[in-house]
Amino acid sequence: MSKWRIIAKHEYLTNIKRKEFLFITFVIPLFIFAIMGLSFLLIGIGGHNEENKIGYVDNTGLFDPSNLTKYTDEDLARKDLLDNKITNYFVIPENYTATGKIIIYSSKKNFADNMKIEEQIRNFLLDNLLKNEPSDIIQRIKKPLDPEYFTLNEKGLKSEDSGFEIILLPLVFSMLFSISIFASSGFLLQSVIEEKENRIMEVILSSVSHKDLLTGKIIGLGALGLTQVFIYLTIAAVILLINPLALYLIISQIHISIPLLAAGIIYFILGYIVFAGIMAGVGAIATTSREGQQIAVIFSLTGSFPFMFSQFIVTNPNEIFAKALSIFPLTSPITMIMRLSITDVPFYEIIISIFVLVFSAYFTIEISVRIFRASLLMYGKKPTIKELIKYVRQG
Amino acid sequence: MENAVRVLNLSKSFNGQNVVRDISFDISKGEVFGLIGPNGAGKTTIIRMLLDIIRPDSGEIRILDDRLSEETKNRIGYLPEERGLYKKLTVFETLTYLGALKEIDSEKRATFLLDKMGMLQHRDKKISELSKGMQQKIQIIAAIIHDPDFIILDEPFSGLDPVNMKLVKELIMELGKEGKTIIISTHMMDQVERMCSRIFMIHKGEGVLYGKIEEIKSRYGKNTVLLEFEGELKNIQGIKKMNNSGNYAELILEPGADPTEVLKKLAEMVRINKFELSMPSLNEIFIRVVEGT
Repeated sequence: MSKWRIIAKHEYLTNIKRKEFLFITFVIPLFIFAIMGLSFLLIGIGGHNEENKIGYVDNTGLFDPSNLTKYTDEDLARKDLLDNKITNYFVIPENYTATGKIIIYSSKKNFADNMKIEEQIRNFLLDNLLKNEPSDIIQRIKKPLDPEYFTLNEKGLKSEDSGFEIILLPLVFSMLFSISIFASSGFLLQSVIEEKENRIMEVILSSVSHKDLLTGKIIGLGALGLTQVFIYLTIAAVILLINPLALYLIISQIHISIPLLAAGIIYFILGYIVFAGIMAGVGAIATTSREGQQIAVIFSLTGSFPFMFSQFIVTNPNEIFAKALSIFPLTSPITMIMRLSITDVPFYEIIISIFVLVFSAYFTIEISVRIFRASLLMYGKKPTIKELIKYVRQG
Repeated sequence: MENAVRVLNLSKSFNGQNVVRDISFDISKGEVFGLIGPNGAGKTTIIRMLLDIIRPDSGEIRILDDRLSEETKNRIGYLPEERGLYKKLTVFETLTYLGALKEIDSEKRATFLLDKMGMLQHRDKKISELSKGMQQKIQIIAAIIHDPDFIILDEPFSGLDPVNMKLVKELIMELGKEGKTIIISTHMMDQVERMCSRIFMIHKGEGVLYGKIEEIKSRYGKNTVLLEFEGELKNIQGIKKMNNSGNYAELILEPGADPTEVLKKLAEMVRINKFELSMPSLNEIFIRVVEGT
């Protein structure tokens, strides 16, 4: 067994037992799903528990009281509202048919309720305005379309789309995906600094070359990251199978196609190698783990750019901004996954971004090995930028 | 005799400061060799260059008749000065991993060496549960886990209590008898004096003494008195220099001084437990070299 494989195996087996790994792998995705499910549940519960009692004051004389309380005097309505006999009332002004203006009063501020109240008022108004129409026409006017989307491609095959998926799939997928990239490259940083801090690095280097050490670490922790992605997918599949009611609507919309998965794995590996290479270099320079984290944050922040602009990328996946982010190596893996899952990205763009990533991966590792070699054992002394450039040049 | 190590005109500087300057020495196979000098003299830098952990600016290094390759690394054992182990691994996991990096299956030998160093009952404890002295012993075991031909020990005695010091010394002597080539790098000259046949002494990055200990000493003549005493020792006529440690002293006689006369004068002043006419210690020689006397 070549030496980098021994190191890879060691890194994999020791890091998979870390509490941080278990936390990130199992707790965070459940946390994300829990928050999503909870907010979904809360909206549902809110609607069923509290029925709004709505009153109205009609100044046009056009509206009959069906399920709402009619007040002839606005003062009476106000009194009932303050006495909590009703939750809302609205005033239909005389010029309503010309302006459509409705003034709504409520006893407490509740943004979430407003939509439901509007819905109730809308139905009430429509029922009255259309009282001479057949009931199925009234139903159609209330809900004129129930959309289903399909995408046609050159082969004439169609895939089913839906509005919800468009936002959710790329976000959730790329979020878990980047958690894995950041986590495993973070473990690499930690592992380099730990070996420096506990001084075992020198013993290791008397047995293996710098390059074998770095290769072993990058591959071992990369395998760890892939394991994590695999666990995420499994968890997603399990949740999909169990189908708790609240999650059903979210999860059932997500379908991850095989080509997307393949692209995801390729971008994951390349993106990870770029970050891992950078973290190895940072680890070699940093004197303490805190210092290492501080430098690393600069790169992780840059890497999480696609999330800060996710709304923009998702709504404009083929704009120049999204294209630029999908070429820049620190942001391209996540941006590309977002774009690929919602739109057809031109093939040449994929090729360019992969080419840039491969080149960057090679380049960062080459530079990191040199920095590693030159500054690894300078305990307690951080090299200056000038020295770093010298190390890289000397090779 | 064949050379285990050959160092030719080795130089290294960090940030314009010469840490090692134009150093050359050979170590024969099966020799116990002392690399000595004060802290910061450049000993660790030389060792790191021998192991290709850092690269020399100029000069040549040959180890076991070869440029250092991954193959050769498997035949070298190294105990660095900066000690450390994985805190969360167990003793046995640590030893087998470090053995695996030398491409050997080390389970049997790990058990054997743990037993020999009286550590077998701690086999499955985590490193962080061990005392500092125990960790030291684990590190020494780790350095020889793969039964190397060539062993580099950087400050092997630092942090050891007398019992463990003896244990480690015996281990080194035994390895020497087995025909291993051993470098002991230390600033504790008295240890080297008893264990090594030849030394290389470095001061401020430059080689100052090199050769057999006996030869070096005889160059400085038999003009030293090793004295064990009780009482207060003051300087007397006939003594050029005195290294007084309280109840032990090394006295350097003036040229032509009569040791018997010195003994008489000393006997009037203090109670003498031991009086030995000897060659100067390496320590004394080193001080003279550094002070340029």
